[in-house]
Amino acid sequence: MIRNIITLTLNDVAIAFKNKTIFLIIFIPVFVFLSLKLVDIGAADVKTIHIGLIQNEAYAPVILRTITSTNQIFTVSRVSNEAEGKKQLTEKNIDGLLLRSEKDPTSVVLVVLKKESLQTLSIVESFSVLQRAVEGKSTNWIADITPLQEGGIQKQTLPTWVLMLVLLVGFIIMPAQVAEEKEKKLLLALLQTPMREIEWLIAKLLSGMVLIFTAVLSLHLLGQFNPGNTVSYIAFIVVGSFCFCSYGILLGFLCRNQASARTLGVIFYLPHLLPSALSDFSQKLTVAAPFLPSYQLYEPIKSILLDNGRISDMPLEWLYLLAVGLITLCFSYLLMKKRWLM
Amino acid sequence: MQIEISNLSKVYKENRGLLPVSLDVGKGELIAIIGHNGAGKSTLLKILANWHLPDTGNVLVDGINLKNRAAVVRKVGFVPEVPNLFDFFPVEYNLKLFARLFQVSYIRVEEILNDFNLLSFRNSKIQDLSKGLRQRVSIGRTLLADPPVLLFDEPTSGLDFEMTKEVYIMIRKFHSSGKTILFTSHRPEEIKTLATRVIMLHQGNVVYDGSPEKYFQSEIHERLYQ
Repeated sequence: MIRNIITLTLNDVAIAFKNKTIFLIIFIPVFVFLSLKLVDIGAADVKTIHIGLIQNEAYAPVILRTITSTNQIFTVSRVSNEAEGKKQLTEKNIDGLLLRSEKDPTSVVLVVLKKESLQTLSIVESFSVLQRAVEGKSTNWIADITPLQEGGIQKQTLPTWVLMLVLLVGFIIMPAQVAEEKEKKLLLALLQTPMREIEWLIAKLLSGMVLIFTAVLSLHLLGQFNPGNTVSYIAFIVVGSFCFCSYGILLGFLCRNQASARTLGVIFYLPHLLPSALSDFSQKLTVAAPFLPSYQLYEPIKSILLDNGRISDMPLEWLYLLAVGLITLCFSYLLMKKRWLM
Repeated sequence: MQIEISNLSKVYKENRGLLPVSLDVGKGELIAIIGHNGAGKSTLLKILANWHLPDTGNVLVDGINLKNRAAVVRKVGFVPEVPNLFDFFPVEYNLKLFARLFQVSYIRVEEILNDFNLLSFRNSKIQDLSKGLRQRVSIGRTLLADPPVLLFDEPTSGLDFEMTKEVYIMIRKFHSSGKTILFTSHRPEEIKTLATRVIMLHQGNVVYDGSPEKYFQSEIHERLYQ
């Protein structure tokens, strides 16, 4: 019995090598490890907060003096005006922007990217500590907090969930479906009809896009999220689902069977999901992520959902996704014509 | 000639497959393609069925080049050794799907269900059917567009005696209705019972092309099978 078990175990390991499952087993820990290394762990330990101050703004002298003298807690950047400060904030060059409070000239308004974030909490706490040390009273120097991106934590994370759904269908479901049709010779059966190759490809794309639309719509309905600029949002979901379904179909064509397709799908899924979704938390990932098509979907969706962005502000991202979709579709067509691994 | 094959080849790794082959097939012939495993029998049929693309050569079916897939699929029907049907869907769904793709009416689906004794199985999922019944559905699907040329890749492989007999009767019926049929086989009795011509492939080459009677008395049969 033991001999049989060993024989079968070795056989399973050999199969895992054959269908590349073993690579997936190795790949996931390696990738998570690398991603976590890229997240700014070092920066999180550093207490320094980058604060933007508007030049020639009449801040309360005690606040100004305290902030500029505490180099270990705050580093100060001067910006010409409020608009410039908000731009710096959006680009993550500063963590917060201070404006003079109209209601109470002895306090300030803190402008942050997201109200409900660890970063904002850290800024407020630092101010509170400094104030108690300087004045010994508990009334906060910060009169108000204004976030640039509206919405609760659920809405803040919505772009990540949308991206996850699009990539899940694109990289996990589509390749497996295509590979299954190849493996069971169903695609060859269909090719014995007058159906044209491009018809099959389009049908496959549409089925994937329908899945994505259903998932995204369900997400909005369940969370009662308003997409903001609906036309721009739909335009990006359409082009994003086209891009990633087409990409997934190509991956399916590169595999002989379902098991390989699933493995390859995950290998593409994680690197497309994590750098884009985590780019908010890491400057290093923000540098690397734009090279991925997923980032070109994630950023516009985030902008539309959280900052009332419009497609007219992001035509290049839209065209980039369309181009990736078309290129991968052309490759799939060529592989289909060549009966690749069928 | 109904099928004109010239210099057709398809070579896989280790030089297996089909070396340049030229053949003509007349209308109404019932040809058994025989040979050892790896001789190139299935490769030849799969090229004719557009499953594989040839490395070299040309095929005309009723004057239509094989490269014109959309036209030639109406001329050639292929029944693979393992039925490739949508397992999780019922028999009727499978037939209707392909009827839609062939643009034939659903009346034809009813005819096929009736002709192949599948009426009582019309709502049964393919995965619940026996191999023999699946083969019947597979043959029925191939006949939806009523192609004049039929290709069978080991049509009785894995079937019991009763089902084998049933397949023989079907093939004879198609032949008597004027269809040209090519089938691969390893079974001498099948070749004797059905074929009007035998083509033997060995290591990718045609080594015999003639009548079944002469084949069984030939030196090549003796050499390769005895």
